[in-house]
Amino acid sequence: MVIPVLAIVFTLYFFSTILNSPWTAQVSAFSLGSLLLLFCVIFVAKTVYQLRRGDGTLSFGNIVSRDDLASGRVGLFLATLGFTLLIDYLGFTLTTFLFLLVSMTILARGRGFMRITLVSALMALGGWAVFILAFDTRFPRGWFETTMKAVLANG
Amino acid sequence: MGDTANLLASVFLDTISYWWVIIPTIFLGLIVGGIPGFSAANTIIILMPLTLSMDLQTGLIFMVSLYSAARMGAGIPAILVNIPGTAGAAATPLDGYPMTRQGRGQQALAITFVSSSLGGLLTTVVALATMPILARVGFYMHSVEMIVVMLFGISLIASIAAQDMLKGLIAGFFGLMIGSIGTDVVYATPRGTMGFLELYDGVPLIPALVGLFAVSEAFIIIEKKVILTDEGQAAMANPSWSATFEGVSIALKRWVHIVWTSLIGLIIGVIPGAGASIASFVAYQQSRTFSKTPELYGTGHPEGLIAPESANNGVTSGTLVPLLVLGIPGGATAAIMLVVMQFHGVSFGPSLFERQPEVGYGMFMAMMVSYLLMILTILPLSRYMSRVTTVPTIYLAPMIISFTLVGAFVPREYMFDMFLALAFGVLGYIARRTGYHVAAILIGVILGPLLETYFLRALKKSQGDMSILFSSNIGNVLWVLLVLSLVLPPILKLKRKRRDRRLATLSGDYQ
Repeated sequence: MVIPVLAIVFTLYFFSTILNSPWTAQVSAFSLGSLLLLFCVIFVAKTVYQLRRGDGTLSFGNIVSRDDLASGRVGLFLATLGFTLLIDYLGFTLTTFLFLLVSMTILARGRGFMRITLVSALMALGGWAVFILAFDTRFPRGWFETTMKAVLANG
Repeated sequence: MGDTANLLASVFLDTISYWWVIIPTIFLGLIVGGIPGFSAANTIIILMPLTLSMDLQTGLIFMVSLYSAARMGAGIPAILVNIPGTAGAAATPLDGYPMTRQGRGQQALAITFVSSSLGGLLTTVVALATMPILARVGFYMHSVEMIVVMLFGISLIASIAAQDMLKGLIAGFFGLMIGSIGTDVVYATPRGTMGFLELYDGVPLIPALVGLFAVSEAFIIIEKKVILTDEGQAAMANPSWSATFEGVSIALKRWVHIVWTSLIGLIIGVIPGAGASIASFVAYQQSRTFSKTPELYGTGHPEGLIAPESANNGVTSGTLVPLLVLGIPGGATAAIMLVVMQFHGVSFGPSLFERQPEVGYGMFMAMMVSYLLMILTILPLSRYMSRVTTVPTIYLAPMIISFTLVGAFVPREYMFDMFLALAFGVLGYIARRTGYHVAAILIGVILGPLLETYFLRALKKSQGDMSILFSSNIGNVLWVLLVLSLVLPPILKLKRKRRDRRLATLSGDYQ
């Protein structure tokens, strides 16, 4: 039910943003959105019918469960959120290293810490060498990138 | 005729002498094609100073090789870890990834390399031979015809929905609605942007691709030690060269399939504005429609892998036709090639092939030589590439997340795009866990805005008269083909069932 509910909420919000728009902005969205709402309503009706017959239950069990905490999925998600928030401040290399170190340690439940540290450092440095040093892409820069640039510039 | 053949032969041999440029570029292309966000176009832009400093011929060979290799490279992570490197490879994991999970990753890679190379080679030859005719295709494909071409691609949603019709349709239409986010193409009225200025240009494709496929996949794969199934692990325990040869043999036996799906790619590639994603979806859908075993698609069927890969490499040669003959770039990479060529004083048009044949024919020859060298250099690597699938997921999942999320940042350089990729990741994870197909959502996100653009253009032209959709001869032929491709499969299936039942009854009577 999560996806149909999300779809219904989003479609209704979308409709609210185009109510006073010219027809060119409405025609496609109204036709697609109406069909989507129709499919979702059929799905909801079907689910309610199944619930009444006792053929199904409503729960979030297959999306989030206690197992997700144990398997490290929740930890991985939080680490990913942290990675996205911090990369603009710490720069690509340092954030990637910290993210890999934390998330691999969570998933490995603390085992093989030395190996994980080495893998994280190699991957982060490899990424820096390829994407920033060689390709000069505009990946977020931070303390490490600035320092290395100064070091390399001064021989 | 003889002069042209001599000229082509001499340009071909001359291009081969640039192997020292082509081979390193192939590896570069395979890498950048494999990382979402690093397309050939981005890489050529990044390396623009280097490209401009080369002489014209070397620069062109470099760009064409990078373009072809990046196209092929995008399929590698799609097969091995269910992450298409570009939108053009979005249909590749539908059958490629199930093959990998079954421990047939090496065969899948070999099939991809052979079908991509043969598709690319064949379409290059066809493009060379039929250039004057192909160049005109773009003139005949107006908004009405393009609407039908888009619908061919979107009808793939119906195929995916076949397993659970309602869920498939909800996922597909949800994707189409998400694809409608942004300003409308006529009056630039913002719609569904949630107040984010970054969404005024529409939903960027790479963050959607990264989120729906890569991030959600990373959260799923941690459930197992490796991404392979138990049978897959057993199959991967003793890797050998025979799996590569088996893959080559599977692909070569289906050469007819390679031919017609790559030609779909060539024709779509010639149309400016259409691209590899449309071609691969259309080719996959058509391949499934005319297959004798449509029920095997999505389970690791070689034909489901050959179709999108041949088609998206067919697009590569197709985009060169309007670029060289008309000076109209068919896509982002072709547009950058145009800039580089203009920097060197090349003027486009049919006379290009008379004034500077080494440039006009040289680009096709560079593509041909690239595909030839690619198959020779990359095929032996499939055995080693497939070992990625044995890397424990505790290492693989965080690596996928970090490098693809940063890839989402690259095309527009907005931090917002990384958050958007994460949001799509959550959506993709929920979708996967509740039985919705992320590919159906992505098809909607990719093709939705294109369909709307062409639809509005047509309606503007007709001042709101819907009958314009059936006003062109080519369009009407395409409509008929579309209806046939949707109606025929169930009819054929019914006929086949009836025939089987009749045969069973007859054999029962006989016994």
